[in-house]
Amino acid sequence: MKRIAFPAAFVAALVLTALAAPLLDLPDPIRQDIANRLAGAMAGSPLGRDEFGRDVLARLIWGARASLGVAFASAALACLVGVTLGLIGGWMRGLGEILTLRLVDIVLCFPPILLALLVVTLLGPGAGTLILVLAVLYAPGFARLTYGEVLSVRATDYVEAVRALGASTPRILTRTVLPNIAGPILVQFSLAVAAAVVVESGLSFLGLGVVPPTPSWGLMIRGGRTTMAQAPLLLLWPCLALTLTILAMNLLCDALRDAVDPRARAGGGRRRIVDRVLPGLFPAPRPAAPGLSISHLSVEIDTPKGTIRPVDDVSLSVASGETLAVVGESGSGKTLTALATMGLLDPSVRVVAGQVLFEGRDLLTLDERDLRALRGKRIAMIFQDPMTALNPVMRVGDQIVEAIRAHSAAGARAATDRALELFRRVGIADPEKRLRVYPHEMSGGMRQRAMIAMALANNPVLLVADEPTTALDATVQAQILDLLADLRRDTGAALIFITHSLAVVAEIADQVVVMYAGQIVESGPVAAVFATPRHPYTAALLAASPDSNDPSAGIPGTVPALHALPPGCRFAPRCAHATDACATPPVLEVLEDGRESRCVRRREIFG
Amino acid sequence: MIWYLRRVAISLLLLLSIAAIVFFALHAIPGDPAEVLLSTGGVSPDAATVAALRTKLGLDKPILEQFATFLFAAARGDFGTSLVDDYPVIDEIALRLPRTLELVFAGALLAVAIGLPAGVAAAMGRDGIFDRVASGAAALLLAVPVFVVGTLLVLLFAQVLRWMPAGGYVAFDRDPARHMLLLTLPAIAVAKGLAATVFRMARAATLDALSRDHVRTARAKGLSPMRVLLRHVVRNALSPVVTVLGLQMGTLLGGTVLVEYVFNWPGLSTPLLRAVEGRDYPMVVGIVLTVSALFLLINLIMDAIYALLDPRARSA
Repeated sequence: MKRIAFPAAFVAALVLTALAAPLLDLPDPIRQDIANRLAGAMAGSPLGRDEFGRDVLARLIWGARASLGVAFASAALACLVGVTLGLIGGWMRGLGEILTLRLVDIVLCFPPILLALLVVTLLGPGAGTLILVLAVLYAPGFARLTYGEVLSVRATDYVEAVRALGASTPRILTRTVLPNIAGPILVQFSLAVAAAVVVESGLSFLGLGVVPPTPSWGLMIRGGRTTMAQAPLLLLWPCLALTLTILAMNLLCDALRDAVDPRARAGGGRRRIVDRVLPGLFPAPRPAAPGLSISHLSVEIDTPKGTIRPVDDVSLSVASGETLAVVGESGSGKTLTALATMGLLDPSVRVVAGQVLFEGRDLLTLDERDLRALRGKRIAMIFQDPMTALNPVMRVGDQIVEAIRAHSAAGARAATDRALELFRRVGIADPEKRLRVYPHEMSGGMRQRAMIAMALANNPVLLVADEPTTALDATVQAQILDLLADLRRDTGAALIFITHSLAVVAEIADQVVVMYAGQIVESGPVAAVFATPRHPYTAALLAASPDSNDPSAGIPGTVPALHALPPGCRFAPRCAHATDACATPPVLEVLEDGRESRCVRRREIFG
Repeated sequence: MIWYLRRVAISLLLLLSIAAIVFFALHAIPGDPAEVLLSTGGVSPDAATVAALRTKLGLDKPILEQFATFLFAAARGDFGTSLVDDYPVIDEIALRLPRTLELVFAGALLAVAIGLPAGVAAAMGRDGIFDRVASGAAALLLAVPVFVVGTLLVLLFAQVLRWMPAGGYVAFDRDPARHMLLLTLPAIAVAKGLAATVFRMARAATLDALSRDHVRTARAKGLSPMRVLLRHVVRNALSPVVTVLGLQMGTLLGGTVLVEYVFNWPGLSTPLLRAVEGRDYPMVVGIVLTVSALFLLINLIMDAIYALLDPRARSA
């Protein structure tokens, strides 16, 4: 609202001043006084006199009257005509629709000034001609807007119902359509007024708009040009008035548009590419350790409702040749954990504690250069939706070649050969041809195969797959899982597999980590965890729907919001076994055979 | 390829509609067209002059025959002769169109050269100092009418600083250096609004591209920041910028009329304005149709560029 106040006040003041011009004690803006030609500031004329000795201030204020009068009148006329056309076109369909839309297209084909000049040729210059021309120019905008709205309103059940009750068409239109488009129409109206001021002043400047001696800003600039050398201020005043007016109107339009359309507002946190692509430099060598191990990782995000901790003290590890599944519902923190290991967290997400050890180095403290050397080379990631994860305007083959060449000195030829080999490896038929297509020309399954080929490009030792099968249908899912299992066996890479589907876990993983609301609640070998769960959440997941895509379907309640977590066990509000003991935060206990569980009543429930 | 042929066909149809509007507009106003064109300031022209003009414009024939004659002649580039000096309209256009095109091209080039990198830079440093300053400057540029910019440029560079001539034109082959000097200010004036629009679009499109998943993929591959920026962000941000360029061509061509007037650039606007004042209808029609055709042609070129940039458009 703050943004709207200033321009709105300016425009309002301008309109009021222009309206009040006859009431103000101003000199006659038309009366010439050759004796005081080009005089500077003088009594009664604070801004001086123009080339005919007329008072500049009076002409500025009366000029506003001319400009705004023409602009508002033409915008109102355009609005009336355009909305009517849009209503007719949208409601009648058929010929009416075609005529309206094509007429609109044709008008939009004319460069505005040219259309105006054509009409001026026929009708002669003058305010009346201007209003007509500008109305013709801006009616299409109103017509399109109304037309679109009528189409969407027509389709609603409500209108169908009202029609069935026998309501007349004009009644439906005025009752349902008009209130819906009042906001956008207001925006369109303000845009039309601002644009009309520009065209009006332009035509007047050319001597083809407002007819002298009526004062107008365009005419004043035209006049000021001739005496530019002696009296540059004569030129500057109307230029300033015109520019400020249009600026205020544009700002008002922007503010109105944002108020009417919340989507147009720039949302989200601040994000600068320097933060995204080149974070700080903190080198820190660490002792060697095999595979990947995350210890005590916590990340925080500042939100309007307070700081939340979507990943809270998470520790897990995966050895070469092993598959670790991370399971949890949306918002459990599994994807953020994966992104943290890649150094791909959004800058609004802060790592507050923990270590991610890989090949003897803590990835959290590596600088961007070293991370980049690892990403796509030693560690590769497969994303959830290959449609959005692949660049839509780049050939798939080029995207893979790019991944290869980012980490090796391979020439274009060699890289293409390697890409071809990768495509064959991931089972893409006709690989020569597929390398040359764009992502949208592939099927979903094929895109994910291409994504996997890209991840394999440089023989990574760690693959992080973030829900790689969620966006695919069931049969394709199974094929992709087979492929991943195959590849892991062949390459001996470690695989971290993030999913919300227990069925997928059973199929592919050796170890499983179950996450809930940012914490690990249970972990251990897949077979053992599935056979004898040691946490009520895991048990509920297994009991609820082992094959369902939505693991929480059978569990009552919902995942708690991260800024309003229960004080003790986070699962307690949904847990069938909850007692008073659950009000204290449980710790993650280490059990026999490398298993872990976070439940105070574990012994009582599971024996 | 078929979608493009469709676009070409639609453009031709639109051109035909424009020709029809231009032709019938003269007949739509009340009163005899010849009398309307000849009357200035409420003085009625004498009967002999009106009759002569009626014959010259072929107004005595049936209206559909007139329209057919007009269309076939226009298709051959024959727009008749000026009512003022009997000079063939097409010769006037042929002489002056290249100069207008040069101005349009120079202005568009300048606008893209400034607006595009500035928009990308502003998006990268979102909410930083450069972003604020550049966004403010763009809002201001959008608010200043093109003839105001032109006039103020003349005032500043020709009157106050005396660095440049106030306007005029010298053929390139006569004096290349002076030709370019005289082109500078008009080109800046033509570019000002488009540069601001391109800036805004480039900034918005870059921000949008930055938030896309494939940028994360590109980073996950370990690409260098520069390659991510150019190949996966800016490259994807180009398509909306091209769209907005096409949409703005109408405004640009209209702005050129004003700029040519301000700087005495002898393009199409001089005969156009003279013709509008003198109600020289054949000349106005010829120029309006030429510029509209140009507008449609530029948009067809933009469509082709768009399809080159975005493969998804090709199959749509």
